[in-house]
Amino acid sequence: MGAATDAVDDDEREFGAEDDVVPAVKSNNDVDYDDADADARRDAPRSSSSSSSSSATTSVVYSPELLGVYYSRLFPYDLLHSWLSYDPSSINPGNGKVVTPAKASSSSSSSSSSSYSSSSLSSSSTFPRREFSMTIEPTPGSEVYIRYQSFSSREDLAAAVMRRRPTKLDIGAVFNHPPKDNKSLPAGKLQTVERELVFDVDLTDYDEVRNCGCAGADICPKCWTYMGMAMGVMDAGLRRDFGFRHLAWFYSGRRGVHCWVCDESARMLTNEARSAVASYFEVNLGSDKNKGFNLSAPLHPALARAYEILEPRFVDSVLPEDGHGLLATRASWTRLLLTLPKAAHPVASRLEERWGRSPGRDATPREKWRELKSELASFVGGRGGGAKAPKTLSSSDRVRIEMWPVETVFRQTYPRLDINVSKMQNHLLKSPFCVHPKTGRVCVPIDADDFDSFDPFAVPTLASLVRELDEYEARGGGGNDANADGGVVHDWQKTSLRGPFERYRKKVLIPLLNDERRSAREERERRAAVVGDF
Amino acid sequence: MNVAGPARSRPSSSSSSDANSKRGHHGHAADGGSSSLVDMYLDVPSFELSLDEFEEYALARLKVLRKIEEMKTRNLPPDLFRSQLDASIKSNLRSNDIVDVASHFILRAAYCRNEDLRRWFLTQECILFRHRLESVSRGGGGSRGGGGNNGGGGHHDELRDFLARNDFDLDRVSAADKERLRDKLLSVPGTNPVEFNVAEYYRVPFVQALELVGRRECYVADGNAYVPLPRVVSIVAAKFRSSLSRSLASAGGIFRQAVSRDERARIGPLLSSMNSQYTGPSGGAGSSAAYGIDGEEGAPTAANVDELASRSMPLCMRQLHRGLQRDHKLKHQGRLQYGLFLKGAGMSLEEHTLFFQREFAKIMTGEQFNKQYAYSIRHMHGKEGKRATYTPGAEHHGCPYRHYDDASLSALLGLLKIGNAVDRDAIMAHKRDGNFQLACSRHFEAVHPGATSLEGVNLDGVGNHPNAWFSASVSYHNAKSGKGGATGGSKNVVKAEGVA
Repeated sequence: MGAATDAVDDDEREFGAEDDVVPAVKSNNDVDYDDADADARRDAPRSSSSSSSSSATTSVVYSPELLGVYYSRLFPYDLLHSWLSYDPSSINPGNGKVVTPAKASSSSSSSSSSSYSSSSLSSSSTFPRREFSMTIEPTPGSEVYIRYQSFSSREDLAAAVMRRRPTKLDIGAVFNHPPKDNKSLPAGKLQTVERELVFDVDLTDYDEVRNCGCAGADICPKCWTYMGMAMGVMDAGLRRDFGFRHLAWFYSGRRGVHCWVCDESARMLTNEARSAVASYFEVNLGSDKNKGFNLSAPLHPALARAYEILEPRFVDSVLPEDGHGLLATRASWTRLLLTLPKAAHPVASRLEERWGRSPGRDATPREKWRELKSELASFVGGRGGGAKAPKTLSSSDRVRIEMWPVETVFRQTYPRLDINVSKMQNHLLKSPFCVHPKTGRVCVPIDADDFDSFDPFAVPTLASLVRELDEYEARGGGGNDANADGGVVHDWQKTSLRGPFERYRKKVLIPLLNDERRSAREERERRAAVVGDF
Repeated sequence: MNVAGPARSRPSSSSSSDANSKRGHHGHAADGGSSSLVDMYLDVPSFELSLDEFEEYALARLKVLRKIEEMKTRNLPPDLFRSQLDASIKSNLRSNDIVDVASHFILRAAYCRNEDLRRWFLTQECILFRHRLESVSRGGGGSRGGGGNNGGGGHHDELRDFLARNDFDLDRVSAADKERLRDKLLSVPGTNPVEFNVAEYYRVPFVQALELVGRRECYVADGNAYVPLPRVVSIVAAKFRSSLSRSLASAGGIFRQAVSRDERARIGPLLSSMNSQYTGPSGGAGSSAAYGIDGEEGAPTAANVDELASRSMPLCMRQLHRGLQRDHKLKHQGRLQYGLFLKGAGMSLEEHTLFFQREFAKIMTGEQFNKQYAYSIRHMHGKEGKRATYTPGAEHHGCPYRHYDDASLSALLGLLKIGNAVDRDAIMAHKRDGNFQLACSRHFEAVHPGATSLEGVNLDGVGNHPNAWFSASVSYHNAKSGKGGATGGSKNVVKAEGVA
């Protein structure tokens, strides 16, 4: 690893820590992804491959050769560049298409790299000052980390990425000077000026509440539900509380999600403001040893909303047997009841007795949860037929009991952010559209309005993409579906990346750039008004 | 003194000494009627002061700021803190706005010179500012001068006036909006339902209320924080802090150029000695500095540390010092332990860096040193990282009495010529009995004969803490050589120096 590894996000640190450099031909990790791969094979029946790079066995999801194909044919340089330049002119207002070279290749892979040549000379002012950094493997087993890269244009970026074939590409801040001039600038001269507000949620931080058997970098559909919950809370909070409108969510390629808040106001936030926003979302959930985390009553509006979002999902996917089984077996509900405050022990023993009485035909976890909540409510409220709290119940005990359901739901499901990623303008985060070297999966955009239908196991891998390209070309273009090749300009449109990429362009990029255009116009008019020169 | 002016205002000419015998007051606060009880000090004043006034006002403020530091060190309960601070303000900055404004800017100029001074000044000024603002918002008023306390009811008006004067663009939440948001606002922690009904809420961009936002102590919606009037204090205080901090930092770089040559001759010495001016006894001896050494007297410097090591350090620290001299490096634990000891003994950051650099430079380049070690030294002094102020820990590792075997310890005592044979036998006897602290105390007695009978030598903790050992030794030698005053008291006491 290079010198400056301190400012890098978790995925990066994990590389170093494991000291387990990605082998050129993957064999050891396949087992985790066999199922997903099998699915992919079913979905896309294998055809005899013409491309030399996909001649390896189908269980190879990632290799330097596949990565080379991805970078030269599939990587959406224009989407990345349009976004990071915040330049409305990089997108055609008429049809909302990203402006691309007129005669882009439709099939030949050899011409695709040279097709980026003439456009975007009028690169916006921020893109050339944006820091990129690359993790490269000059030889298998060695890893070099290069910081302070910057590129004057999309073509520059594309050329460097194709030449270096980074196993990972990180995006940093926009600086006052192109960061590649770092060495020639006096020390301290290079300073960050703006940066998206970013959030990183990672399932590794959920180990203590993952009863599905996963730990560390493993994920399964059961624990992935936690990511959907985290996204729901964060998305609502960032939009409604802070008024941000341009949130871009991405799969991190393995076990988490990244959120990039791209509003101009977010990009300009100081480090101090970033810390405050991150702390606003942070709830200290206590640790394994110190279970006692206490929420104060009443619940802050942001937390009350989080509870409204989380509780139904908690009931659906955490409580039942096929979730994390919190109320599914006698042992598990006994464990849960033991976490009730001491003062509520009459409720616990009542329920323990009732639920244990009729094994086999007892209430469902969902019914048990409702029962538990209503018992607690009537216990402190003194109504109903349940156990009654003694008159001496202290007000702090009362609060503890009232807050217990919220605390339980939060401990299990509240977003666990890696807030260090969010605090500094200068922190690097993995670029969207990259490929995770361990899984071979693309860091695809996730549709903000449709978190729940996102399936990390259906995300295309390098191998499946190359196969799709081959198949597309074997069909001689459009294929059976007449609409499918309408407007195919990029090779990625020939693959299953088309859906997520085009949704991202339509729902994130275009609204973002339209806003940029609007605010640029307003700024021009404001300035003109100041000097009285319209 | 406009050197320390904020970026916002750049007065073309304001000299504090052009007419040093005239007593005209004009400009900023010339109306004299203290309409403002709290000042953001955003506008650099221009009025003329005599050289005597210049100094008198500055020292008056210095007393208040040092009082604040001392009370913070002693950790006074809030109401005692408030009443004592009010008293100090009243007796020092009592007379009028001019004293307050002038003294603030004079000290700003005097304290912008380096990072340590800036940090100290910023800390105390922010506490003072917040105190006054809270007084105003509580309706106490009067913290700048007399008057102002017009009793209940009107205090929110004072705060409002203040906010309006200082460009706080607060958007008042209408009664209808407040009612609409009732449930949300009431569920913010710390909101009192009774006070809620009379509370006035303001809507501010959330970036102006970061402290409250970060602690979820306000309702946040659509990019705005909803803040009840009393809590606006924390917003204003944050703004004050950042603007003063910025002004100090930018003034720091231009201090030398900005004070013109003829002014420099006149007020330069005053400004540059301001931070070491004596302002009288500080009152309570600072508890946190119990082992500290006054001023420069007895504090180790890079120049005298070798001598002090053999004269006044206990065996453990002496060993670290010898190790450093021998190998020109120390491992992490050793650096930390010895570094904190030196810091506790009063060695400044600059001297500490100088000393370690001198040793380390014998085996590495200056650049390597800066890269690998200078940071951790600054860190120890609270200048990096979490900026905690580390104090030398009471328990330490590597006690020679505990960890050396008999033969090695005996050889070491002989090598260092500690005491005579009888002393050394006594030390060895304590060591063999496992009484390491007694052994350490015995070492002290051996090399400081008659210490118990000397006045002003505090022997408490000599066998327990290396800094106690050191401090007792220094005061012993001072008492012997007839220098008074070094009683291991507060660091707040600064020696009087020649006043021009």
